[in-house]
Amino acid sequence: MRYGRVAPWLFVLPTIVGLALFRIGPIVAAFLVSFTRWNVISSPQWQGLANYRELMSSEIFWRVLKNTVVFSVTYVPGVMVCGLFLAILVNTKLKGITFFRGLYYLPVITSTVAIGVVWSWILSPRFGALPRILNNLGVMNVPSFLGDSRYALLTLVVVYIWKMSGYHMILFLAGLQNIPEVYYEAAKIDGATPWQLLRHVTLPLLSTTTFFIMIIALIQSLQTFDLTFAMTEGGPNNASATLSFFTYVNAFVHFRMGYAASMAFVLFLIVGSITLANFWARKYWVSTLD
Amino acid sequence: MRVARKALLYLLLCLVGLSTVFPFLWMVSTSFKTMNEVFSIRPNFIPRNLFTDKMWDNYQTILVKHNFLRYVQNSLFVATTAAFGQLVACSLSGFAFARMKFAGKEILFGMLLATLMIPVEVTIIPEYLIMLKLGWYNTFLPLIVPSMLVGSFGTFLFRSFFENIPTTLEDAAFIDGVNSWQMFYKIFLPNAKPAIASLFIIAFMNNWNDLLRPVIYLDSEHLWTATMGLMQFKGNYGTQWHLLLTGSVISVIPLIAVYIAMQRYFVEGMLGSGMKG
Repeated sequence: MRYGRVAPWLFVLPTIVGLALFRIGPIVAAFLVSFTRWNVISSPQWQGLANYRELMSSEIFWRVLKNTVVFSVTYVPGVMVCGLFLAILVNTKLKGITFFRGLYYLPVITSTVAIGVVWSWILSPRFGALPRILNNLGVMNVPSFLGDSRYALLTLVVVYIWKMSGYHMILFLAGLQNIPEVYYEAAKIDGATPWQLLRHVTLPLLSTTTFFIMIIALIQSLQTFDLTFAMTEGGPNNASATLSFFTYVNAFVHFRMGYAASMAFVLFLIVGSITLANFWARKYWVSTLD
Repeated sequence: MRVARKALLYLLLCLVGLSTVFPFLWMVSTSFKTMNEVFSIRPNFIPRNLFTDKMWDNYQTILVKHNFLRYVQNSLFVATTAAFGQLVACSLSGFAFARMKFAGKEILFGMLLATLMIPVEVTIIPEYLIMLKLGWYNTFLPLIVPSMLVGSFGTFLFRSFFENIPTTLEDAAFIDGVNSWQMFYKIFLPNAKPAIASLFIIAFMNNWNDLLRPVIYLDSEHLWTATMGLMQFKGNYGTQWHLLLTGSVISVIPLIAVYIAMQRYFVEGMLGSGMKG
């Protein structure tokens, strides 16, 4: 106890206050609010499971939940494949490679709003860069990527993959650089092709990294408020609304705090089970690798 | 053969790079165009007003008439304060978790770990009610205080950094009779420059780019941040792409400048965040 009894608590005090006031407290409070009817102006009324019942019978909610699932199952593999591709591409000692790494990382640091604006412009019907390029290539009747309910959600997924690939590149790169060179040398002596190297050396040795990246990508796919807000505002007709955006709409546009809190709790359950799966898997891996 | 392979690899790197920078180049190009040019039948990449005295017209309009200068200043203030506060809170707790012994340390750290991944959308409703109660609605405080105090990632970063500093340094300082604060401030903190730089930049970036909190907390126009101002402009003048893209350029330039200046800390810091997730 070289630091005494009081000092440690003073050092962690700001973090404890933050944890209690802005993390643990709000999680518990959100759960309680989800059983009430509350528009902020009048005081909350307890109404039991009514919000959850409304949620279950709401067609829009199921649609939003389906959108969220579609977003996750397309975004996660998409961004992982792109990230791995970039990581393999920049995992060399070529001159100027740090420049390219930095370049590929640029969209990650840029605000989602600015990216939303520029992509809205590129995809904009008739005058946007992409429809113009497609027209010149002879493709007429280019759909409105953001205005058509069939394409809006997937367009958001593609833009988000474009933005986040650099982030996953860095994570994969760290994993790749941990693989000892000898494995590759041994496989090459046995006459392995580049594809075989990837399939039988890189990917198996990268499996823990890959799992961990999948968890990160999954969590990211649930936090799409900025992107949705900046590009489609959930439209057209809720076609691109996801859980995080829909929670915002109910809480801060309709001011239905109780109902929104029940959605936030569904989001919490999803993230909570992913976190638990992560903890469990790590324990399992640690014990098998030892 | 080797040369050909190298050339091919560079070509591939450049092609992928082009798909990364094209939206940025298009953003900059559009920001120098006139409205007519944006909607012309024959699109051009090089704006006609480039290097003429009309070149900065859009920027003039956006910065002065549409008040973006104010928004950028607000963003700078919020992001700097929040990042600095997060640095203080996280370095202190990171030091305690790495070097001190106290009851409940493991539980506390476990709680930080367990709530690390909870999205802000889950906690935002009660947070909003707290801010209303505190009378902080329509001030910068809701943008600064929560992100300042809830720095799980920063705590991990500093904890792992301080854990790697050898005990001998600590022992020597104790023999010299330093107290807990001096140990932290004079011995450990000066050795943590990479962690300080990484966290500052990442926190700055996150706060600069934040959209949800400005949207729900900021009512008065003179308080808007750059992201908020850009969103509002999009809502009001959605078809004036030349000005909208000018606003985008202005809202990303400070970040890109910081990024280019301190690139290695960005990547290092993100790696650290990833590995501790």
